[in-house]
Amino acid sequence: MRAVTFSKLLLSACLIASTVAACATRPPASDPAAVAEYEETNDPLEPTNRVFYVINNGIDTVLLRPAAQAYRFVFPQPVRNGVHNLLSNLSTPVLLGNDILSAKPRRAGDTTMRFLINSTVGVVGVFDVAKDWGYPAHDASFGTTLALWGLPEGPFLFLPVLGPSNPRDAVGFGVDTAMDPFTWVGQGAAVTALNWSRYAVSAVDQRERVLDAVDQIKKTALDPYATFRSLYRQHRASEIEEARNDTRSTVPVWFPQPTPAPKR
Amino acid sequence: MLTRRILLKLTGAATVMAALGPMLATPARADSAQQAAAFVKSTGDALVAVVNGPGSPADKRRQLQQVIDANVDVDEIARFCLGRFWRQATPEQQKQYMSLFHDVLLNNITAKLGDYKGVRFEMGRAQEREDTDVVSTTVERPNNPPTQVDWIVSGASGHPKIIDVVAEGTSLRLTQRSDYASYLSRNGNKVEALIEAMRHQVAQNG
Repeated sequence: MRAVTFSKLLLSACLIASTVAACATRPPASDPAAVAEYEETNDPLEPTNRVFYVINNGIDTVLLRPAAQAYRFVFPQPVRNGVHNLLSNLSTPVLLGNDILSAKPRRAGDTTMRFLINSTVGVVGVFDVAKDWGYPAHDASFGTTLALWGLPEGPFLFLPVLGPSNPRDAVGFGVDTAMDPFTWVGQGAAVTALNWSRYAVSAVDQRERVLDAVDQIKKTALDPYATFRSLYRQHRASEIEEARNDTRSTVPVWFPQPTPAPKR
Repeated sequence: MLTRRILLKLTGAATVMAALGPMLATPARADSAQQAAAFVKSTGDALVAVVNGPGSPADKRRQLQQVIDANVDVDEIARFCLGRFWRQATPEQQKQYMSLFHDVLLNNITAKLGDYKGVRFEMGRAQEREDTDVVSTTVERPNNPPTQVDWIVSGASGHPKIIDVVAEGTSLRLTQRSDYASYLSRNGNKVEALIEAMRHQVAQNG
């Protein structure tokens, strides 16, 4: 099944990693500015990571990017939006689980209302009606949940197939997969095929959404690897901060409202 | 009664403030966020007008340069992006780097012009953060999901100037700095190597 395939994938990744493992050399203590930069970059496994960056980049160039381009060429924006909304709706169980685990009741409420509204009025999730009704979308993953629990991110990792990550997000990805009922529900060739199509469409959808941005970076960055590393880490940090700062209270509307916390 | 006296003073002060009107009652800093928002709105309108307006790419490039020079503190951004290497560079290198940085930035923005055709933006909230103002906007362009873009405005130079753009939580200048830092560390930390690479970039795009 899928979970097994992924653990196999991760295992083989670890094996490859250990055979090509190499560490970035830490600058001497006599150069504090360089040491500070080394610490800030948080990439002690850089040489290994770069190997996987090159491999992933190759896979992307021959497979994922052309697929995303074809997808954009064939389907107009409204269709692609519908597909994206549908996929988001399918990830409700994982979202809700993480909203609850990270103790964000209002986010859990948003997720529930979004599912109820979009699954019905939004025609099984194709239209994001809930957004206009005051239930905006948000991201949640077990990686973020772990961060809110206080777990540090660990060193930067560039994983085969999955791309930029860190131990916390890699574990989070595994847990999210395990948390997803679609990983476990039903059996037989049809279900497996459906599940895999969902992952494939999901990958193409994600890739299509960043087509222009990634092309631009590869064209303009002197060191695309370092740029993607920086972007990933900044983006994750801001996602986590956004979740952390979502401290909306759960007082019912008819109850005297507490004074809102001052906005940062 | 100390507290009573303070209370009296405070009410007295409040009355004076109220009497003098909102001009004095509002501390100078409080509306700086609003000023920054107005500044970002006018800069954004100017940029959108260039992007969606008529004219050849060369015309647009010139217009963009005007908008950027007037509203973006490119020198400050350039120094930030070179980080600790700015002080290691010779004055001559600093000059070359600075001029190349202006060109690279303009090239990168000009290269995106086509992608941004039909762009529009909506203003979000503005707030103070440390000595800068952060103005949030939502940028929408065809074929792309809406993007949350924050404009960091500094008044340090006397006039409001944009010193950073943060798209979906990623800072433009922080990203650029890590790109340069990584390139430098892989090329013997020699500023000359970076300048050479930038020169190559400009020659390719120019």
